[in-house]
Amino acid sequence: MKPATLNESPARSIIRAAVRLLVPPLLAAASARAAMSGDFNRLLEAVVRIDVREVTFEEGARRFVAGVGSGVILSKDGLVLTNAHVASPHAVEISITLPSLERVDAKLVGWDHWTDLALIRLDLDEVKRRGLAFQHAAFGDSDALYAGQTVYAVGTPYGLTRTVTRGIISNNRRYFEDREGVRGYETGAFNTWLQTDAAINPGNSGGPLVTEDGRVVGINARAYVGADNLGFAIPSNIAQRIVAGLVAHGSITRSYIGLVPAALQDLEHFYALALNTGLLINSVDPGSPAARAGLRGGDILLAINGQKVDGRFPEQLPPIQNMIASLPVGSTVKLSLKRAGQTMEIPVVTEKLESRVGEEWAFEKWGLGVRKVSRAFARENQLDDDTGVIVIGVQPGFPAAVAGLAPGDIITKLNQQTLTELETLKRVYQQFEARPDSLLVEAMRDRHVSLYVLKP
Amino acid sequence: MITTLVRRIFPPAWRCLLLVLGGAWLPLRAADLPDLFAERVRSCVTVEFMVENELDRQPVTVLGVCADTNGTIILPASAIGARVSVRQLKDFKVYRPNSATAYHAEYLGQDVLTGWHFVRAEEKLRAELVPLTAWVRAGTPEPRLADEVWGIGLRGKDEDFHPYFLMSLIGLIQSMPQRTAIAASEVGGPGLPVFNRDGALVGLTLNSFGQNFLMFSRRERGVPVVLVDVEESSVFLLASEVLPYLGRIPQNVQGRPLPWLGAFGLEPVDPEVARFLRLENQSALVVSEVLEGSPAEKAGLKSRDIIVALDGRPLPRLKPDQVVATYVEREVDRHRPGDELPLTVLRDGQRLELTVTLGDEPKIIREAERKYFERLGFTVREFLYGDGMARRVKLAEQAGVIVEFVKSNSPAAMGGLEFDDWIREIDGKEVKTYAEAVAALTAIEADQNRPEFVLLTSRGSETAVRRVKLK
Repeated sequence: MKPATLNESPARSIIRAAVRLLVPPLLAAASARAAMSGDFNRLLEAVVRIDVREVTFEEGARRFVAGVGSGVILSKDGLVLTNAHVASPHAVEISITLPSLERVDAKLVGWDHWTDLALIRLDLDEVKRRGLAFQHAAFGDSDALYAGQTVYAVGTPYGLTRTVTRGIISNNRRYFEDREGVRGYETGAFNTWLQTDAAINPGNSGGPLVTEDGRVVGINARAYVGADNLGFAIPSNIAQRIVAGLVAHGSITRSYIGLVPAALQDLEHFYALALNTGLLINSVDPGSPAARAGLRGGDILLAINGQKVDGRFPEQLPPIQNMIASLPVGSTVKLSLKRAGQTMEIPVVTEKLESRVGEEWAFEKWGLGVRKVSRAFARENQLDDDTGVIVIGVQPGFPAAVAGLAPGDIITKLNQQTLTELETLKRVYQQFEARPDSLLVEAMRDRHVSLYVLKP
Repeated sequence: MITTLVRRIFPPAWRCLLLVLGGAWLPLRAADLPDLFAERVRSCVTVEFMVENELDRQPVTVLGVCADTNGTIILPASAIGARVSVRQLKDFKVYRPNSATAYHAEYLGQDVLTGWHFVRAEEKLRAELVPLTAWVRAGTPEPRLADEVWGIGLRGKDEDFHPYFLMSLIGLIQSMPQRTAIAASEVGGPGLPVFNRDGALVGLTLNSFGQNFLMFSRRERGVPVVLVDVEESSVFLLASEVLPYLGRIPQNVQGRPLPWLGAFGLEPVDPEVARFLRLENQSALVVSEVLEGSPAEKAGLKSRDIIVALDGRPLPRLKPDQVVATYVEREVDRHRPGDELPLTVLRDGQRLELTVTLGDEPKIIREAERKYFERLGFTVREFLYGDGMARRVKLAEQAGVIVEFVKSNSPAAMGGLEFDDWIREIDGKEVKTYAEAVAALTAIEADQNRPEFVLLTSRGSETAVRRVKLK
């Protein structure tokens, strides 16, 4: 089981909030010592509530859903750091509640679901016009954290603005990957997580984990729902790097070669390896650069461009993955491998890392929501290539549903023409809007090919 | 769906066996029915057998009908699962209604066309059984809507397989693609014969269809459930779909030869699509994939071809649409390997005529070699053509073995091995054949000093190195 992400819908939060009112507030005692620090108080003035309205296509139409999360202001020019699962490119409205209880609009600067981080910017014109003021927080060094160190989580659990909870660092290098962890997008391959027992609840997402001096050492993101105090945050040293990238480019570009690593644990002996070296290649994505270069599951990776790797334990995997991801896209990387007692050097040309989640769109008159088949999705599902779009939603009673299309179907052809781009489908839809006519659709469901007629 | 319709037409009281037995409102001339019933019960039997698995023996009890004077008994297709190997089938026993005496029987195999399993009862029972054909009356018309039909149910072993009477009216007759009647309520145990008012054979019951109900309980309100009656059925094949096939006793226990086309995923077009393709009053099937090295491939069939006719005859429009796929499969199964089957297909709007020379199907799962390693806690079986197809592996790249069973909490289970995993390497050495795998695993199992072994396995599109600790 993977810990779940933690933003939540406002309707639910009201009910939960009412229940929570019965619980006597213990926060005063918990934060008594911290309140003595001026730095900590300044940090409190930099934590915001984030209300997001975002578009979804999963009902076969453009629909909007609302969510609540937290964030921390990082700079005088109004940059706010939060989770990618709070503010994503699907957001159509982002509204920030400052600690002064004033609401200000914000815009997405960029997001990175791999580390579950997003950067948004306050509308500074509005801030200036209304004469609003805010503080900003400073990062601490997450590498210096030790297990047992006291930390505080600040955020908006269940819509309860500016809640501070206290705990300790339970583990400073936790590893888990989640292939669909951020709204269906991958996360966790390139970072470890800080684990804390500070109470983290739905709505804490995007809020800071801070030390007693008010320094941000992590961004709270996940927790095991129903477990007692197993919360997880992205370390600040990783967040700082992502923030710099998002400010500069609006996105983080990574390289991909298609290795799926596993911890070597005590297989060192089986593979006759020198002490503290090697990473087990558990799997190679079909059709990936590594697969084309001849790498196979069961190979041992000894070095990347001559630099030795040590992947004995799970928490050692993200830095190695990140090493590969940080290579320039399209560059040649020299992998030193061990296979069946032989060592070899294999050059692999990196390509750009893509998510399994492709672009989404809805065609309202058909009652059809779709997502482009990505290369990663095609590999995962053993499709020949990235042809087609996946049906993610149909609206009952509309042409797509009437024809028999259902979520999960992959539309591969329209009027006998192979569908390679989402744009092609958009063009066909425009023609349909102008002059409605029947359309022959070929779709695949679990490798079974069927034909459907979309009728006006 | 069909049965739901029938249910709405007939009141629920119909379901109650006691009412039918009481004959409170049925317009019956019941005087001769007990005599007809007593005679016809002699065609019915209960068959018990064991399916031997790695760790347990599962008893199976099914109903069967006597097909001839040689003691041949027909069991429904569902009596034995498709994965079960013939070697797992043990201890066939036959019981007559109203008798606790067990007679031995031998399993003869499954017929590909009807799906029936055939068993043969021992000599001394044969004279006691009356073949189904004894109840055929020449000139009996095909039953019609609202005809009275009756059949036999059999109670369990604890009641000495006591026979009882069931009766109903025909609600619907449809081609699915076999001529199938659905009665208003149950007419017999699944696999047992159905008769008309005069005692003439009119059909053989199939497994009952699922029926939609809403379930109410203290905790939940109106949960949709599908219920399947396993003791009695209201669905039966008409006699014309049964009598011609009684002699299809398999020539060998594996039911070989198995005619093979090699077109995977035949998907029917609905009437809208048929109209769009300008196919009037007929159906068609889209070929999802053409299998490597298959007769279909050799004949030039391509994936996404649309089959519109077989042997020059357009595919009939059958309801529901899916039935037309069964129709084509049955047409193939009527043939023998080596037979030619002409197909008409649509490809890019053009009509093409192809002739497929049917083959004999590659080894199927129930025929596969398998071996259980008790101490390691798992069973491997040979890699089959179908495994390659399911995993999209080219024939040339097929090697290794498949995990057929993993014992809970065994070393294999603790090592993360799962059912249907594909083992490709054992201890870093590539496994080419089943024999190689068995030899390697046998050596590992025999070595009491060995602390562990390592497998390279595939599951879906991912491979994984799995370490199985023995100490």
